[in-house]
Amino acid sequence: MTVTRIAPLVTFRITFGLLMFFSLLRFWWRGWVTSVYVEPKFHFTYMGFDWVQPLGNTGMHLLFLVITLAALLVALGWFYRVAIVVFFLGFTYVELIDVTTYLNHYYFISLVAFIMIWLPANRDYSIDAWRRPEIRREETPRWTIGILRFQMAIVYVFAGLAKLNSDWLLRAEPMKTWLPARSHLPVVGQFMYEEWVAYLFSWFGAAYDLFIVFFLLNKKSRPIAYGFVLIFHIATAVFFPGIGMFPYVMIVSSLIFFSGEFHEKLLSYLPFYKNRLLSQLQTSYNYRYPRFITAAIIIYAFAQVLIPLRFLLYPGHLFWNEEGYRFSWRVMLMEKSGAAYFTVKDKSGQEFYTVNNKEFLTPLQEKMMSTQPDMILKYAHYLAAEYAKKGITEPKVYGEVYVSLNGSRSALFIDSTVNLAAQKQGWGHYAWVLQKETSKN
Amino acid sequence: MTNKRFVLSTMLMLTVVLFFACSKSDDDPNDNNPSGTDEFKKGMLVNYADNIIIPGYTDFIAKMDLLEAAVNAFLDNPSAATRDAVKAPFKTAYLAFENVSMPYFGPAAALQLNSYVNTFPPATSKIEAGVASGTYNFTQPGISDSLQGLPALDYLLFSDNAVEKFTTDTHAANRKKYVRDVMDRIATLSGNALSQWNSSYRTTFVNSLKTDVGSSIGSIVNQLAFEMDALKGPRIGYPFGKQSNGIVFADKAEAYFSGISGDLAVANLTALKNYYTGASGDGIADYLVLLKKEQLNTDVLAQFDIAINALKAIPAPLSAAFTGSPATVEEAYKQIQKLLTLLKTDVASATGVQITYMDNDGD
Repeated sequence: MTVTRIAPLVTFRITFGLLMFFSLLRFWWRGWVTSVYVEPKFHFTYMGFDWVQPLGNTGMHLLFLVITLAALLVALGWFYRVAIVVFFLGFTYVELIDVTTYLNHYYFISLVAFIMIWLPANRDYSIDAWRRPEIRREETPRWTIGILRFQMAIVYVFAGLAKLNSDWLLRAEPMKTWLPARSHLPVVGQFMYEEWVAYLFSWFGAAYDLFIVFFLLNKKSRPIAYGFVLIFHIATAVFFPGIGMFPYVMIVSSLIFFSGEFHEKLLSYLPFYKNRLLSQLQTSYNYRYPRFITAAIIIYAFAQVLIPLRFLLYPGHLFWNEEGYRFSWRVMLMEKSGAAYFTVKDKSGQEFYTVNNKEFLTPLQEKMMSTQPDMILKYAHYLAAEYAKKGITEPKVYGEVYVSLNGSRSALFIDSTVNLAAQKQGWGHYAWVLQKETSKN
Repeated sequence: MTNKRFVLSTMLMLTVVLFFACSKSDDDPNDNNPSGTDEFKKGMLVNYADNIIIPGYTDFIAKMDLLEAAVNAFLDNPSAATRDAVKAPFKTAYLAFENVSMPYFGPAAALQLNSYVNTFPPATSKIEAGVASGTYNFTQPGISDSLQGLPALDYLLFSDNAVEKFTTDTHAANRKKYVRDVMDRIATLSGNALSQWNSSYRTTFVNSLKTDVGSSIGSIVNQLAFEMDALKGPRIGYPFGKQSNGIVFADKAEAYFSGISGDLAVANLTALKNYYTGASGDGIADYLVLLKKEQLNTDVLAQFDIAINALKAIPAPLSAAFTGSPATVEEAYKQIQKLLTLLKTDVASATGVQITYMDNDGD
């Protein structure tokens, strides 16, 4: 089997681990563990993962402590295999608790952590390799780096393809809506009301996402391409600070495209790298290359290509219905907001109660629920259960929901005459979601 | 570029990026350094501070002073006549509060001004217990909200047989003290809010040109929706029975005992319209025009008028209209919900305001 230098994998392990370590500290420090996973009385679970529940105040903080430490161990390469497995399971568990906090880069982190379980990223310049020199390797099978590059390519290319829609390219939405909110920025702020700036951002963003991977893969264009990576993601961080850690995740992960020699030089600036025991370094890889790895990689790659394309199986306007929207690298694509009013009626339809959403949901949960059909349905079912507890027989739940998308005026989102409590949750198309009206401004 | 130099420059850039990532406080709500400028936004915020919010608090405090004079006259010499003389200044003061209910951020939020001054309905039995025992604590967040403020005064001064309780009742002296303590508490809180606005918060407010949570524009837009929600729920919907299968709880209405609920609702919505337009200066309305959302602005203004007129069309007192004229209340409720929807979706979207600090990748 073909091999390559292991250094890129080592850099990836260290930077990924450290970035996760600081991200998790930041999440904790901002009080989000409590506000997102302790305070809400109801969680929007993922279909099939209803058993993933928060673990209470102490439990959630302990879990975060464990994941944070695991991230640090990954960076250090100390009990690497155990640490990365714990990190993957813990992080994914947390993300599965509530759809509300779904972010594409959290999904990316889960995927990368899963991949890293199978990579020999601790086999050089790690505490494991220092304690057990016999595991040290100078080279690694090519696929171990290739699969990370593939994952990056999937993110960028699908993010680019998602931008090829008329709102983005022809109306420069949502940039046109978002940029005036950044008019306070020094120097560039004064241009934020200009339409051409919104078009420039939109078109540059689409081109960048579509093509950057190819320029990173090419040795000649790589340095300049990485300059673009830095410029693009720093700009994203400045203009859209709400996006959080995403730019930094991409800046750091993109280093995987650089050569082994580059990474060896990079690592040589770190302490102990140069004088680690090279004498014992085994260059040859003697572990076997079981066929199931090939099969697993092919299946994984197919899944990564097919999952973002599943939206093609659903009818209707993707951004409006959001069927097949998540797990597809659709980042910063739309400005969507809603107002959702629910009424609960009893079996006879005689009794009625308007629902105060604040009683059941946090502001963030209410905001996310108001524009996403599967969350509306999950909430309606929860309301039915809650009102049944209050003594209402066979509660019927009706939603009057209005949604505004990419600067178009708000319109009725779902059929307000449908008893949502009687609608089944599933992967199929939700016929009770109304068609998007042709937009008017 | 040699490989080594390139490695070094990459490292340098990464260091800069990491430094930037760690020191970046752009999403820190307390960081409102005026690093750049936007003359329109700044002018709009100056207008809000100098022509609406600060005068609003000043006016409320002045009206509370007038109320205090009337209340003291009543307490010194309790009679039906001196009590009735309290009614007009009480209404004026309550109406003045509706003008400062909206800016529930900054000093007001830190002081929990609205919670302490206008949590209704008042907890009448707890108030009576406090009067009887002479011991009560107004400073416990949450727990003591419904023991004080304008709703407590409404109950103490205007409920049935209120005058007798200040004369012949065994706890008359305690009751007088309770009223004075409530008055003092409102004066302290509102005075405190005003002095904070006058000292440092005004500068913070007018220099906060972002739209995230805690920013001035973010607070204004979010509070518009929040107050509309309160109008739809606690002020109209809940007493009307919207949460209780149509069973009316008239005594849950704002200022039920003095019977001015309807006037307060109209004043509240009129004040909100004022905040939306920026009155005679620039406001959110003008910002929408700047963003080329003229049609949306026109529709919002029209819906404000429709909703205000629908509220005005409810025969007074509101507490009687819940049962006596439900169709008019229902119509007002419907129009308020329409206005709320416009503010919460279209206006919030157009102005790009955030409702939480949480990371997001664009909905």
